[in-house]
Amino acid sequence: MAPKKEVNFAKAFEELEQITEWFERDGADLDEGLKKFERGLELAKFCKEKLSEVENKVETIKKKFVG
Amino acid sequence: MDEVLSVSDFLRLANEVLRLNIQNGAFAIEGEISGYSVKDGKWIIFSLKDEVDEKSKLKCFATVYKVAGSFEDGMRVRVWGGPSIKPWSDFQLDVQRMEPVGEGALKRAYELLKLKLEQEGIFALARKRSIPKFPDRIGLITSSDAAAYGDFLRILNNRWSGVKVIHADVRVQGKDAVDHIISAFDYFNGLGETDRPDVIVLTRGGGSLEDLHAFNDERVVRAVYGSSIPVVCGVGHERDESLCDYAADVRASTPSNAAERIVPDRRDVEYTIKMMVERVGDTLHRRLDDRGQVIQTAERVMAHFLEGRKREADNVIQRLLLQTNSWILSIRQRIDSEERLLRNVDPTRILSRGYSIVKSGTKVIKDAKTLAAGDEITVQFARGTVDAEVK
Repeated sequence: MAPKKEVNFAKAFEELEQITEWFERDGADLDEGLKKFERGLELAKFCKEKLSEVENKVETIKKKFVG
Repeated sequence: MDEVLSVSDFLRLANEVLRLNIQNGAFAIEGEISGYSVKDGKWIIFSLKDEVDEKSKLKCFATVYKVAGSFEDGMRVRVWGGPSIKPWSDFQLDVQRMEPVGEGALKRAYELLKLKLEQEGIFALARKRSIPKFPDRIGLITSSDAAAYGDFLRILNNRWSGVKVIHADVRVQGKDAVDHIISAFDYFNGLGETDRPDVIVLTRGGGSLEDLHAFNDERVVRAVYGSSIPVVCGVGHERDESLCDYAADVRASTPSNAAERIVPDRRDVEYTIKMMVERVGDTLHRRLDDRGQVIQTAERVMAHFLEGRKREADNVIQRLLLQTNSWILSIRQRIDSEERLLRNVDPTRILSRGYSIVKSGTKVIKDAKTLAAGDEITVQFARGTVDAEVK
């Protein structure tokens, strides 16, 4: 299950943080752990892809503030 | 014939002449405030004194809605407005705009306003909101002519990507700056949920107190305070400060610093992601190893246990065999001794030594008196028997 299109970087990063925290805190359940690990790898991949986007877009509002 | 006018008609005519000849706000009149007072929290009344001729005074009237900021007696100001003659009063100026003049007055006005807003809780730390860690959209309020614009975007691009910057091109100094900045705030806050920036940046380069007046204007400070979108304010150089800085959720020291405060550094985040994945992987491997250890230990314990059982069983069998052997031995010994005993009492063994057994019929004769002459008897020897008759 790849992260959905509308999932943004912030959400993906947050989920990755939660997974890391889960492993640090308990993570005794191996089956759950394996699932979470897989999900973590997907999220990390998604985040890295997002980070490789080169540009910030700048859009100047058409409405004139400068008179 | 001279035209006769009522007093009120004459005043109306005079006001008409004044209005036509001295346009509202056409001049800035500079002087020193005296007799400053605010009535009912709404009406501002004061006189403007002339520097040259102490007797020259101009009555001024304003409202707190038009004139924001804090003023006091002795402060040098410039006022803009329209003159009129009120029927109930004298010649006066309806003030539309008023600004302190000179560093001293500006500084004093700044201090007074700062104190007032502070007391109102506009700068309270408790109301500061945190800005999102990874904003998608940034509302940028600054002038495209300013160095601040370039500085902000350069640092933003160095650090982070994938962000949409919505730029409101406004004047950051001069008489329109205040209105521009306020309407930019209104614009951003009025956007729908999907277009709304996650954070607003209000920024400009450094300058004198006069240059920064818009960033110390009460209405702009209130716009920062009232924004439902968190605000980062970055003005000038490290040491410059503005009232907007204090009202903002995050105070940045420069336009570049504003970019640093808003977006993380790509390299830091890449490192963090790498560390998180490694950490999770390590933990998982350790857990798996732990499991392996448990299984191995269990195997060892089981083997040990079984070994023990086997040894115990062997012992039991050994002991059982031992017991059985000695039991068989004792049985054999008993049989042997019985046999010996039996053999000792065997009467045929006595016969072999020369004794004989005398029977009458089947009865063994132990007393000679039981026999009479003529009785038939059988004599048994060790080997063979004979029949005889008693004489």
